[in-house]
Amino acid sequence: MIEARSMRWARWAAPLLLGALGAFAPACASGRHGTPRPGDDNDLSPLRAGETGSAILCGKIVTADEDDRVISRGMILVRNGRIAYVGPRAAVPQGYELLDCGDQWATPGMVDLHSHVHSGGFGDVNDMVLPANPDLRSSPAVRPGNSLIQVACAGGVTTLFGIPGSGTTHSGFGLVYKTKLNSPFEECVVRNPGGMKVAQSYNPERRAGDFGATRAGLSWILEDMNDKAVGATRQGRRAIELENLQKVHAGELPVLIHSAGSDGWTAAARMWQNTYGTRCVLSHGCFDAHLTAPWIAETGARVNAGPRTMDHVSTRDGAITGTAERYLAAGVQSVSLNTDAPVMPQEELFLQGTMSARLGADSYLMLKAVTIEPARQFGLDERLGSLEVGKDADIVLRTGEPLDPRARVERVIIDGKLEYDRLRDGQWF
Amino acid sequence: MKTIRPAFVPLACCAVLALCLPPAQAQRGVDAQNRVIETQLPPAAGEIGGSGLALKARKVLTVPIEGEQYLDNGVVLVKDGKIEAVGPARTTAIPAGYQVVDVGDKWLMPGFVDLHSHVGGAMDINDMVYLTNPGLRVSTSVIPANETLRVAVAAGVTTVLFIPGSGVNCGGQGALIKTGLDTFEEALVRNPGSLKIAQAGNPERWVINPGRSFMNWNTRDMLKRGKAYAQRWKAHEEGRGARPERELQNDVFRELDAHRTQVSTHTQMYQVVLTTITMLSREFGFTAYIDHGEMAGYKSGELAKENNVNAIIGPREIEIPTRQFIEWTGSNPEAILGIAAEYQKRGVKHIGFNTDAPVVPQEELAVQATTAVRYGFDGSNLEAVRGLTIVPALTAGISDQVGCLQPGRDADILVITGDPADPREWIETVYIEGQRVYDAGTERRRW
Repeated sequence: MIEARSMRWARWAAPLLLGALGAFAPACASGRHGTPRPGDDNDLSPLRAGETGSAILCGKIVTADEDDRVISRGMILVRNGRIAYVGPRAAVPQGYELLDCGDQWATPGMVDLHSHVHSGGFGDVNDMVLPANPDLRSSPAVRPGNSLIQVACAGGVTTLFGIPGSGTTHSGFGLVYKTKLNSPFEECVVRNPGGMKVAQSYNPERRAGDFGATRAGLSWILEDMNDKAVGATRQGRRAIELENLQKVHAGELPVLIHSAGSDGWTAAARMWQNTYGTRCVLSHGCFDAHLTAPWIAETGARVNAGPRTMDHVSTRDGAITGTAERYLAAGVQSVSLNTDAPVMPQEELFLQGTMSARLGADSYLMLKAVTIEPARQFGLDERLGSLEVGKDADIVLRTGEPLDPRARVERVIIDGKLEYDRLRDGQWF
Repeated sequence: MKTIRPAFVPLACCAVLALCLPPAQAQRGVDAQNRVIETQLPPAAGEIGGSGLALKARKVLTVPIEGEQYLDNGVVLVKDGKIEAVGPARTTAIPAGYQVVDVGDKWLMPGFVDLHSHVGGAMDINDMVYLTNPGLRVSTSVIPANETLRVAVAAGVTTVLFIPGSGVNCGGQGALIKTGLDTFEEALVRNPGSLKIAQAGNPERWVINPGRSFMNWNTRDMLKRGKAYAQRWKAHEEGRGARPERELQNDVFRELDAHRTQVSTHTQMYQVVLTTITMLSREFGFTAYIDHGEMAGYKSGELAKENNVNAIIGPREIEIPTRQFIEWTGSNPEAILGIAAEYQKRGVKHIGFNTDAPVVPQEELAVQATTAVRYGFDGSNLEAVRGLTIVPALTAGISDQVGCLQPGRDADILVITGDPADPREWIETVYIEGQRVYDAGTERRRW
């Protein structure tokens, strides 16, 4: 109650005080202290006993927030692992440890929704006995801080959706976790299960001889499974093996669908978006799938493009086309990018944005496509994807623009902890 | 027979015609009887024999050897395939009759030069019978404007040093060629473009797996004979001796001795780069450059600086922590090191980049510079751009012809959306000797 009252007060006072004192004033006046929460205002109060905090000074802050704020010569306060202040430089409150990053740019830690590096390589991501496995989870295969995760961290990728492979049409549930270097599993997990993985074209078709070697078969398996889950829910049952799938149909968990090619891509949108109305993210969208972009835009489906972000096969004249640009131009509202690591190295997530920008997409939108947009697609934007008060302090400091490969990653902070420091650790990527 | 003849004859004629005419100047069409016809087009503005061309841009990267490296709101005048003048748009008068092309916010810069390329033609670039072959010429393998070079053009690479492989210690003579011109005669910049020497690594795989001591002795033997041959000719030309017998195998040394060509060395490890500098440059007095600068070769950077040996870095731009490398190359960095940065740190002034195409694709030359900057190479004064243009041109002794936008140089000009070392920027138009050889606006985007 006290919290709620002070919040109302802050909201009422904010416009008045903003003009006079700058963005940090209302929270000081509110008297709120402690770990920041989403929606809180800037807090410049000193740390209390037992709290930890650091003050990051940098040349530029690209917040990737709703207002697309970019702050020159800014400061970020990290309090108990969360962001307490983002704004122009101010006097560092008592108790905060100073981290002066000079001219470096601070950007949100990057988020990849299509990643298989949790097990440390290609192994242990595909259980290939049954075509549909709605009760499998990838979490037992996680090796926190494995060597692929380490380089990912050094490349500024801080959150991954670690998913089963696409060897079978329904391969199970993935988990959302952070790329911390030396932390136990429990401290890395953001959400488990984090979402569902489905593969609707190409890879699962390789299981020739089994039922589901064609797309008709794949669709039948998926629809049968979905109908069972929907039916169970309607009857008020929780079927053990369908428990998580029922959550998907209740909108509590998202589903990421591996699909590509114009046929597979539209089949996926039709099934998961139009028929079942799940919170679905269509992943890959390679080959000629971009030709269906206007129709995809009409369905309102979310797009997670990659690992191929370009196509030169299905354009009539062989010209190179950027798929992200095609989806955006057609009016798809939500476009993020992926690596499908280790198909593309996990650390090269930013480069997917770079190359998409080279092929016509807006450079800033492509930064959002590897930060706030994937977080939003998975309903994780309360915690991840932008530099805003109350969010997890996942911050990447670079020597320049985030999508310019000439800019190095200097420091990576996850949940407020300095995980990677180039000067201390050497350049890993 | 009679029925197919009418169609066949004009087609055959056209095929012959097509071989004779460069496509840039011919336009193909079909007449009312569905016969293929070709019309000769007059030379376009900027081309040889055409009217003048004035290119205006927000930024012009002139990158001369010394002096101001760029100008804002500039104009470049092109006439007969050459750059006539470069200056600020305010003060540079555009002569009457010149076609004016304003590229707006885009930039103009010279085409890139790659001094280590194997994609200039057929891949028969390693004649592996003898260990040293100074008389072999790769110019016989050139396929002008081949498919790979056409992608290279779209990526801004306008001149390459097409060289023999490194299967033996001396693969022969390279040829400097333009990438986007259609005949060998048009494309050739200089032959011999270099003498290619490979000191270690690859030639060790030769028939008898020779060791470095033997290879070094054998190469020195070749160099000594070649140098002596060149000096016999020099003495003769200065009236101090009889006319020597012509030795086809050694003719290239006359060019080397007179510094009309250089030794391009596949050289990488510390002790091998050291040999490049001490043997080729210091002992024999040839102009030699490091053309495969990688691994721990940078440790002889200070010596390279003292001896004015330029370093062309690639195809590896980085040195990685790999345990096996310490035995093989003498290096074992704790983190990823940028090789160009290490040479720069040791004071080497002229540092450029190569691809060793197809080892790194020819079209990714600019990305080599990007990588160098990411790993510590200071590019704050356009060093990365210089490393793609004027530095390799200077190194190959062709800076009076290509590598910068200055009067008298070939009009090899890129229209680019921004800094070439930022991969988000892309090339819209490429001119080689005033000919518009690539235009992403009117043809398909190739890169």
